[in-house]
Amino acid sequence: MNSGIEIETVTVTPLTDDEREELADSLKRCTEETRQAAFKFRETGKLSLLPPIILGIIERFLEPEIRPKLKEGDGSLKLIDDLGIDSLTMMEIVVLVEESLDLSIDNEELRDLRTLHDVNVFLDAKIRNVPVPEKNKHFGVESVLATIPHNVPFLFLNEVSLGKNEAIGTYTISGLEEFMKGHFPENPVFPASIMLEALGQLAVFQLIMTQKSETGQSVDPKKILFTGCETVRCQRVCVPGETLTMTIKPRSLRHPIAKFEGKITVGGETAAWAEDISLTFDWIADSED
Amino acid sequence: MSRVFVTGLGFISSIGNDEDSVVDNLRHLRHGIELFEPLQVPESPVKLAAPVKDFDVESFDPEDWTYPAQYRLRREVLRSFSPHVLYAYCSMKQAIDNAGLDEHEVSNLDTGIYTASAGSSRFLHRSLEKMYKRGIMRCNPLNIVSSVAGTVSFNLVSNFQIQGVSTGFASACASSGHALGFAFEEIRRGKQKRMFVVGAEDCNFDSIVPFAVMRALSLSDHPDSAARPFDKKRSGFVSSGGGVTMILESEEEVARRGASVYGEIVGWGQASDGYNVAISHPDGRGLQNAMRLALKDARITASDIQYLNAHAPSTPIGDLSEVIAMKEVFGTDKGPMISSTKALSGHGLSLSSILESGICMLAYKHGMVPGSANIDELMDEAGGLNIIRESIEMKPEYVMSNSSGFGGANTSLIFRSCQN
Repeated sequence: MNSGIEIETVTVTPLTDDEREELADSLKRCTEETRQAAFKFRETGKLSLLPPIILGIIERFLEPEIRPKLKEGDGSLKLIDDLGIDSLTMMEIVVLVEESLDLSIDNEELRDLRTLHDVNVFLDAKIRNVPVPEKNKHFGVESVLATIPHNVPFLFLNEVSLGKNEAIGTYTISGLEEFMKGHFPENPVFPASIMLEALGQLAVFQLIMTQKSETGQSVDPKKILFTGCETVRCQRVCVPGETLTMTIKPRSLRHPIAKFEGKITVGGETAAWAEDISLTFDWIADSED
Repeated sequence: MSRVFVTGLGFISSIGNDEDSVVDNLRHLRHGIELFEPLQVPESPVKLAAPVKDFDVESFDPEDWTYPAQYRLRREVLRSFSPHVLYAYCSMKQAIDNAGLDEHEVSNLDTGIYTASAGSSRFLHRSLEKMYKRGIMRCNPLNIVSSVAGTVSFNLVSNFQIQGVSTGFASACASSGHALGFAFEEIRRGKQKRMFVVGAEDCNFDSIVPFAVMRALSLSDHPDSAARPFDKKRSGFVSSGGGVTMILESEEEVARRGASVYGEIVGWGQASDGYNVAISHPDGRGLQNAMRLALKDARITASDIQYLNAHAPSTPIGDLSEVIAMKEVFGTDKGPMISSTKALSGHGLSLSSILESGICMLAYKHGMVPGSANIDELMDEAGGLNIIRESIEMKPEYVMSNSSGFGGANTSLIFRSCQN
């Protein structure tokens, strides 16, 4: 079979009555919908049933006040930051997913699952028995500092998750940023211009981490310049304590110009987006004698 | 050397889930024993237990449990609990309120916790059963921390963010006596300023019936007379569970906080029988030594003790050993008032020593020495001991609390009342 063709069902072993009863008991705190989807999957092996089962199981482990987030949010919802799932809860979820779908998951494989999207992609590949698509690589603030030329007090990137065609970064507004004192007195609001700067910094990180010249030269951090941005829209006021989740996707990367589109969300709500963030860049010069 | 005071208590017990209920029940000799529903099956020779009231923790799934609303807990907290951990948690919460401690006073380098519990054999068994049936990787990841001995420490240290010393004691029915004795040492020697001492046990089919084959339990089905320490017809103990927390503080902390105190711990002793794995020494050798060491530690003499809360579980052998030991230490003339409150509370195993020390503190605060219930005919060997059969309204000065556990482990703690 050609790997490009979508598989819609997988082979499953039907549940015995005992197993069905046990699974019903294990899923007793899930919705009826989730239980039925799990039973149906174990009869038919239909892959389209996976998302409701997985979402239903995750939902069961969330505190009631968090549950609406799962319904409203998209795949970018973060398991830890947005849903409050700690590593022990993750293990509970895994055990219940394993039991429901009759598959086994190694600890190692779980390490980089950060978002709902990661979970869905991972389990989909698992159940189809195909290689799991490469996961995003995660970089903490130390790596960010070691990569981009920016530094405090003008660094607006706490961490980055780097994928094949996108980079996701976060920045938590501390309220202690110097400019917040004046923007505005008694009413701190994160400036829109700095949001654009933050997207730019994420784009710089993506550029340095992913681009190489034909002869293998890396991007020179000292030679990147912000040159422009076409359209910017801000839709939401962002205040201290909130975490900006920034996503940038390259539109074109052709030396010496790199163009990106970017978006910022806060807890699933869109705060700002920008088209055609343009950077110019150059390669590290060959060592001079 | 710092003086050490008792400044807080929390009770989740068969005879009450708050101080007032416990005092009231002791004063009127009302017991907490009943025909325990999980035991009303033909295969169980035991019918009685002294369970905690207002808690339903029979389910293996903590999310099914019901318990008093003021202790409401989040799923993430409950998921690593077995039943007695919930009792322990609630008692600790109650004790903290009772002592008036704020979060910072609970969580700092100078505040520690010693616990006593045998773990949850019910939860351990169930989790292993599931593991064999479903496979090693298909179990609850928190099975171990919720069930093994130590679970009370794991859960309380994390939930109350304890930063000082912490460990658990496992010397069966002397466990919380050891926990209390060593906690006292921590403060006396200036290593900690405040200690929580928590004892807790499950009370369910699995925690109770294994004692039946040892012939240690009363097989009676009369709740009003089954537990009868020092009585001729005593035939075994009635099992109980629950959680009790006692808070100890240094003299300096008491002064700084302006805390009100129940009493002072002035000494303790421990000694072992070196005799049998499950049977106490016929002359109560270890217990005698423990009592003598405690008196020496407190720098008082036997005649100073006005009330002794005995271990006496209502077993034929155990009560006899203790009676002999007490006669050796106190003589048979003008000895202290003696009672075993297990006639009312049942025997809470790891819980018992801290529950009974707590009862001694209530005797101080409420000016009431609890009587030894259900003695129709005093055992012959107890002649000459002042075993009191009714509760007496008075505030004693020095009191002693004894405990003995499997393997012949014995502890004896001495308290003194405070004028305040």
